[in-house]
Amino acid sequence: MKVLNFRSLIIFSAFLRVFLIVYGEWQDAHLEVRYTDIDYLVFSDAAALVVAGKSPYKRSTYRYSPLIAFLLAPNSFIHRSWGKFIFSVSDLLVGYFIRTILKLRGVPENLSIYSVIVWLFNPFTFTIGTRGNCEPIVCAIILWIIICLMRGNLFQGAVWYGLVVHMRIYPIIYALPIVILHDPLHFQHGKKPSIIEWSSRDVKPGASLGPDKSSNLNRLWVLFSSIFTRSRILFGLISATIFFFFTGLFFYLYEWEFLNEALLYHLTRTDPRHNFSVYFYHIYLNYEREFSILEKLISFLPQLMVQVVLVSRFARDLPFCFFVQTVAFVAFNKIQATVRMGKLHFKILQFFCMEVGDYCSILCVVLLSVAIDITMEQNEA
Amino acid sequence: MEYQCLHFRLHLILGIMSSLLAGISYSSKLGSHKYITEAYFQKYDTLNDRVFQDFISNEVSQGFCEEQNFMPKLSVWQRQLNGDGSHRRLTSSLKIENQPEVSSKLASQSCKAIIVERLPSGVFADPFELEHLTQRGVFTDASAFGDTDLELPTVRANRSVVEIHMDLGPSMLSENNNGWELNIELPLHARYAPLGKHGYTKVEFGSPDLFVRCIVEGDSHNQSCLFSSANDGVRSSSAAIFWEVPSGIVKHTKVVSVLTFISAVVGALSILAACVFHSEISIHSDSKQS
Repeated sequence: MKVLNFRSLIIFSAFLRVFLIVYGEWQDAHLEVRYTDIDYLVFSDAAALVVAGKSPYKRSTYRYSPLIAFLLAPNSFIHRSWGKFIFSVSDLLVGYFIRTILKLRGVPENLSIYSVIVWLFNPFTFTIGTRGNCEPIVCAIILWIIICLMRGNLFQGAVWYGLVVHMRIYPIIYALPIVILHDPLHFQHGKKPSIIEWSSRDVKPGASLGPDKSSNLNRLWVLFSSIFTRSRILFGLISATIFFFFTGLFFYLYEWEFLNEALLYHLTRTDPRHNFSVYFYHIYLNYEREFSILEKLISFLPQLMVQVVLVSRFARDLPFCFFVQTVAFVAFNKIQATVRMGKLHFKILQFFCMEVGDYCSILCVVLLSVAIDITMEQNEA
Repeated sequence: MEYQCLHFRLHLILGIMSSLLAGISYSSKLGSHKYITEAYFQKYDTLNDRVFQDFISNEVSQGFCEEQNFMPKLSVWQRQLNGDGSHRRLTSSLKIENQPEVSSKLASQSCKAIIVERLPSGVFADPFELEHLTQRGVFTDASAFGDTDLELPTVRANRSVVEIHMDLGPSMLSENNNGWELNIELPLHARYAPLGKHGYTKVEFGSPDLFVRCIVEGDSHNQSCLFSSANDGVRSSSAAIFWEVPSGIVKHTKVVSVLTFISAVVGALSILAACVFHSEISIHSDSKQS
């Protein structure tokens, strides 16, 4: 019965997305304000250039991996909405993966279903895919990596991780928790890493690891003495190989244009627009002068500190760790952190929602997400 | 609204009408360029009003279109800036008048109005939005030239120019059939303004340059003629349109920087403290293997 419910949820969401894509076509043709995301037009133009045998970077503001342009190549010869279907399918996959992860963590079925509903029927998420933003693909890959790691499939996790970092760069912040997860104390080759189960979050006096001094020392010892374990080296090597393979391939094809637009641009950018960073107003007021190296360093320190602290604290609860890392990364980031980054919160927000585990809290999280949606949309406008 | 009261009449032309009595040979002077502005930016890197005017009068307004005696009078009689915030619309009502004896010939000619809007520093038009409006048939053709980077703040950006082409169809003919009347609504966006003393930076719009291009059916071949407005046409002070763009205040710079860094450090330390002192709430060592 429950499986049937989940299946009908997915089917209903699929119909909803098809309807929205068709409606989007109508709105684009008849109303002044388009339904289609401006980025989708950029992807489509880049895909058309690729089909014509040209560089996708001939399209100004295309600053993604050429893989996205390749993926959307059928936009030119099948239908212009092809990409929206790809993104929406990824969106449904995210719903499916959420359920898989929650199952693996032992979350009760009804709560899993509620979490999937929060994802699939969140107006913010279903409009992202149907409007043509590529972020659902990134979300689906990251969730798939979590599933691979939970199932102990290190090789596949590493392959997908290398690919997703090549595609969007910022998932590089998840490298540290993944490395810590492969702690030799908790992870041995051939065994699944210990990502804690949902039920283990209930407070059990005396079972705490955190404040225990010896335990902390032990973890520090493990961290520094056995950094180079077999699984870590394997994960690093495989994901780096994949990352450099794609980066090298596209550098060979598109040369510096690719490196500048798809990689270096994101690292060197100091755009004061559309920014959720705490440094936003400071950057704007100082835009007319160059920042000194000391200033850049100082503004990077809180980010570094927060990331290290959060990772060392929550690494074993991987989905929650990714969530707090992403929120902190957006808040403390100096470079542009737009709504596109914000979208990433939502996939992991589901897990946070599940950990809280009561209906009132779920409602609060949903309302909070709607409030954030509105803020983000206004900021984007 | 200040802008809504701008019911003024701008006569931009007449100045160089004598040289335009018969128009000019359009295609030969602009080469293969579809847009006049495109030809300008191929020759010059940045927009300079004086250079642009010289370009128009020297390079575009030369030569004659044979056997034509049009004298269209081009004027902008109303201009308004509509909307609020950083995204507004510049509306221009244009009038193109012909002599009565020429009006009868209008039906047999294919004419096009060309509006060149030299945007002031701090304001830009989104080239992709213009493309979309063209696809929807709002404009016949439209494009932005110059510094069309959408992301740069005013201090780092150069000026840009928007050129809009509108087919002059029968539906635009004026009531007495001696010319055309049309409204153009151009969506514009404000860049982040340079720092100031008062929190606002005033951006002033100049008058647009107007042209009419007609394809005249000749005996041997069709001929393309371009008629121009005078760029030094009448401009009263009340005609000026202003956009007050919010800007940062210079003297706030240090306070904002200090507060920002204090917030960042306090925020980071709070997270650190939360992780260290409240760790027993959420993580437990007796987790099971999944």
